[in-house]
Amino acid sequence: MINLKHIFKWVTVGGSRVFLLKDINLEVKEGEFISIMGPSGSGKSTLLNVIGMLDGFDEGEYHFLQESVHTLKEKQRAQLYKQYIGFVFQAYHLIDELTVYENIETPLIYQNLKTSERKAMVADMLDRFNIVGKKDLFPAQLSGGQQQLVGIARALIAKPKLLLADEPTGNLNSKQGEEIMELFKQLNNEGVTIIQVTHSEKNAAYGSRVINLLDGRKEINQ
Amino acid sequence: MIKNYLKIAFRNIILQKGYSLINITGLAIGITACVLILQYVSFELSYENFQVNKDRIYRVQQDRYDNGKLSTQWAAGAFAVGNSFKDAIPEIEDYVKLVQQGQVTTEVDNEPTKIEKVFFASSAFFNIFTYPLIAGEKNNALKEPFTIAVSETTAKRIFGTTNIVGKRMDLDRKGNFTITAVYKDAPVNTQLKPDILISYDTYVKMNGPDNNPETAWSWDGCLTYLLLRKDADIKGVEKKFIPIVEKATGAEYKKLNAAVTYLLQPLTDIHLYSNYMMEPAPNGDGKTIYLLLGIAFFIVIIAWVNYINLATARAITRAKEVGVRKAIGSQRRQLVIQFLSESALLNGFALLLALILVVIAIPGFNAISGHQLSFSLLSNFNFWISLAVLFVAGVFLSGLYPAFVLSRFNPVEVLKGNTGGIKQHALLRKSLVVFQFTASLFLLIGTVIVYQQIQYMRRQSLGINVDQTLVVNRPGVGIDSTFLQKMTAFKQELQQQNTIGNITVSTSIPGQAVDWNAGGIKLVGADESTQKQYRVIGMDYDFIKTYGLKLIAGRAFSKDFGSDKNSVIFNRKAAEQLGFNKPEEAIGKKIDFWGEQYIIEGVAENFHQQSLREAYEPLILRLIPDVSGYLSVKVNPAQTKQTIAAVKAGWNKFFPGNTFDYFFLDDHFNNQYKADQRFGQVFGLFTGLAILVACLGLFGLASFTTLQRKKEIGIRKVLGAPVLSILNLLYREFALLLLIAFAIAVPVAAFSTSQWLQGYAFRMQMHWVYFVLPFIAIIAIALITVSFQTIKAAVANPVKSLRTE
Ligand SMILES: Nc1ncnc2c1ncn2[C@@H]1O[C@H](COP(=O)(O)OP(=O)(O)O)[C@@H](O)[C@H]1O
Ligand SMILES: [Mg+2]
Repeated sequence: MINLKHIFKWVTVGGSRVFLLKDINLEVKEGEFISIMGPSGSGKSTLLNVIGMLDGFDEGEYHFLQESVHTLKEKQRAQLYKQYIGFVFQAYHLIDELTVYENIETPLIYQNLKTSERKAMVADMLDRFNIVGKKDLFPAQLSGGQQQLVGIARALIAKPKLLLADEPTGNLNSKQGEEIMELFKQLNNEGVTIIQVTHSEKNAAYGSRVINLLDGRKEINQ
Repeated sequence: MIKNYLKIAFRNIILQKGYSLINITGLAIGITACVLILQYVSFELSYENFQVNKDRIYRVQQDRYDNGKLSTQWAAGAFAVGNSFKDAIPEIEDYVKLVQQGQVTTEVDNEPTKIEKVFFASSAFFNIFTYPLIAGEKNNALKEPFTIAVSETTAKRIFGTTNIVGKRMDLDRKGNFTITAVYKDAPVNTQLKPDILISYDTYVKMNGPDNNPETAWSWDGCLTYLLLRKDADIKGVEKKFIPIVEKATGAEYKKLNAAVTYLLQPLTDIHLYSNYMMEPAPNGDGKTIYLLLGIAFFIVIIAWVNYINLATARAITRAKEVGVRKAIGSQRRQLVIQFLSESALLNGFALLLALILVVIAIPGFNAISGHQLSFSLLSNFNFWISLAVLFVAGVFLSGLYPAFVLSRFNPVEVLKGNTGGIKQHALLRKSLVVFQFTASLFLLIGTVIVYQQIQYMRRQSLGINVDQTLVVNRPGVGIDSTFLQKMTAFKQELQQQNTIGNITVSTSIPGQAVDWNAGGIKLVGADESTQKQYRVIGMDYDFIKTYGLKLIAGRAFSKDFGSDKNSVIFNRKAAEQLGFNKPEEAIGKKIDFWGEQYIIEGVAENFHQQSLREAYEPLILRLIPDVSGYLSVKVNPAQTKQTIAAVKAGWNKFFPGNTFDYFFLDDHFNNQYKADQRFGQVFGLFTGLAILVACLGLFGLASFTTLQRKKEIGIRKVLGAPVLSILNLLYREFALLLLIAFAIAVPVAAFSTSQWLQGYAFRMQMHWVYFVLPFIAIIAIALITVSFQTIKAAVANPVKSLRTE
């Protein structure tokens, strides 16, 4: 599903290159559940953003499903991304001005779905995450765990094939964290490919494979 | 999708109450100002639009040259122009001649009744102009001598009905006229609003067989309008005038070293761009119209700038939202649409508020502009069009830039909370603030100078005393051989009243243009090429005494000199035009004036016959003991009422059949400044609005930047900085912007006000105070505006502001 070949990403600081990603090679098959680990600043988020097409890279090839991402135009990439990828953030990143319902609905709006379709899909999602009662609340009125649930619901609403999660439990207590991980497991069982960044061995254990990063380089010992 | 955007936009507007209020109020004020002024301007631009043939009607206007220099410009020309041009130039389909007759008196139930606007008009009038007939036949009206056409209102006023074709009417007791037509009243927006039209053939008959106007080329005063064929080339037609005029008048004028040219004026341009001698109605001023339009747009632009400034300043607060939206699949285009929807909603609210403001403001606007906008405005198609245009322009001009800025955020960066790298657009914002203050300052300087000029004109000594003067309009009925006798008796009777001072009769009074223009005047024996044009006032013996004119040489008219019948007094300017720079030298000289000789007995100091907008004109005061004209009576202000009653009683006794119209000369004189005063008021009002809107923006910006610097201020205070140094820190930035605005505004304002002052013959002295005072005022206003926020921040408890960070 994902094939990264010799990916380099750098920034130029004071005339010299600082590498954020250095020669990353990675293959991810559909249905995998991968955990990226590594010390702070090692480039985990950067890698996730590159995979999620939020961020570009400077060298290398990236194949996603049948497409060569590195040759695509901005617009086509956005199309691809919109269709297949969902993002979950450590800081939840809900839109403060929108209700729970509207936050979850927004990706569908960007997919140009009709109101009636959106209604049905959001209702399903609310049901599934047991947050029907909270649908008219604003993010500020929810606990962290509830917010993250909404964040995940929003990431899943457009039925992505790939879920990317950057420290999804980083701001949660361990019980809430566990619930989220259980949810991921379940999603993975339903066929969603998941790549998560985590600092916790315990969380990483939910996945099928761990990738360790150090200074933008993949460690050999997998 | 739009619905969703609007929902979010609405929530944002509610959430950011202060910010939204500033924007909506500013935009609403801008839109209101713009719409009101647009209505006013479009009214002024709509003159003659109702004329079906408006694109084909041209007035023949006359320029007079003396010694190769343009000396006078005339709305009217020679009487022979219309028929001569029509006969020779195929592009001319038809022509109409109009001669202004002023007012006439008729009698209704034995009561003299005045009819104000009377013209002689040739028979093509109703074919060329669009005055639909209510009664009568277009082709028969105004055909025969001594026939008239009457306006609907006049007909109803005099007869109580419009069913009056065939009836007879007496005008100035000068004979019976047969009514051949009744026409619909002219709309407000036309120069030609005749109450009665008398057939032009009447005029021809009245002048007798020896004075046929149809062949008169040296006899001025006829307004000629041409109806041209559709494809006529205007320049080409004007060219064809030249040989005709040359043949008819060339030899004559060459002797005088003079020339006339005839040019075409499009009918629709006359109201705003013409202001010549013998205009049939007061003109508007095209320059003022466009100036006002400019000011109106200034105000809306300032409001738009507020939106841009506040939106980009606050961009950071929206950065996270943009990042999230992009991360969950939004394309940039969709974000641009979202932010434009916000702009649209805000502009929409502003529009609603503006509608309310317009309705509230109409009476006030009418009062200061002297205009007659009504609420029917709301059913006017153009009104809604202008609103729609302002709305769309507002949405895009103010919304597009912030939309692009906001939608450009990189999601990875902003989601990291990394907003430090975001462009602050500080330079743009500062430039826009400078623009706002430059505009405000410019307008304020303009206001000050307009007011100064009006003050100057009103305070300046006129050289003629117009105070406490009652003027009675000239009589039309009973001007015959007994007139002098009657007038003398009347004056004597009045003078016996001790409340009444001097009395005089003259052909002109101060406060209006002298309508008697005489060409062909020169020193006896001098070459014909030295002939020049002069304005003439005919007067009795008492004019100079009554009006307190100052003689600088010679003497006033006096009955003590039996020969005074052929005496004239020149003003200084006229004496100079005659070639005497020392006034004494002119005394005793004789002039040729239309075939007779007159002696210059005195030279009077120049005085302001008209407002100080007009230059001194070469003026000849000519003694005409039995002159018919305005009666000026000096009155004792304490007994005005009794005096008016006494004058009226005498008037009715000596001049029966005439209406008693009177006015006070100082009012009449000051009426000349009405247009200037209105302009000053409108200018001042809209300047105030512009400053208010700019201050709203500044207030918003100051609150935002202060909020942003809250932490910095807190730290500085903890480190021991005194309040004053904190204030200094916050004000320095705005002070610099104001200085830049000042540097730009002063030269621009100096240039444009001096251009404006060019329209006035007598101009106030420019003074640096008029520039610095507005600057200080703007500084003060800006300081107060900014201080609401800064002082609060500077004196705030630093611990508190640091904790909330
Ligand atoms: N745009 C950038 N410019 C400069 N340095 C960057 C940029 N983005 C990330 N970095 C740096 O790259 C390194 C990797 O960042 P990141 O991927 O966020 O690490 P992680 O998520 O593993 O903690 C960090 O040292 C970070 O400071
Ligand atoms: Mg990270």
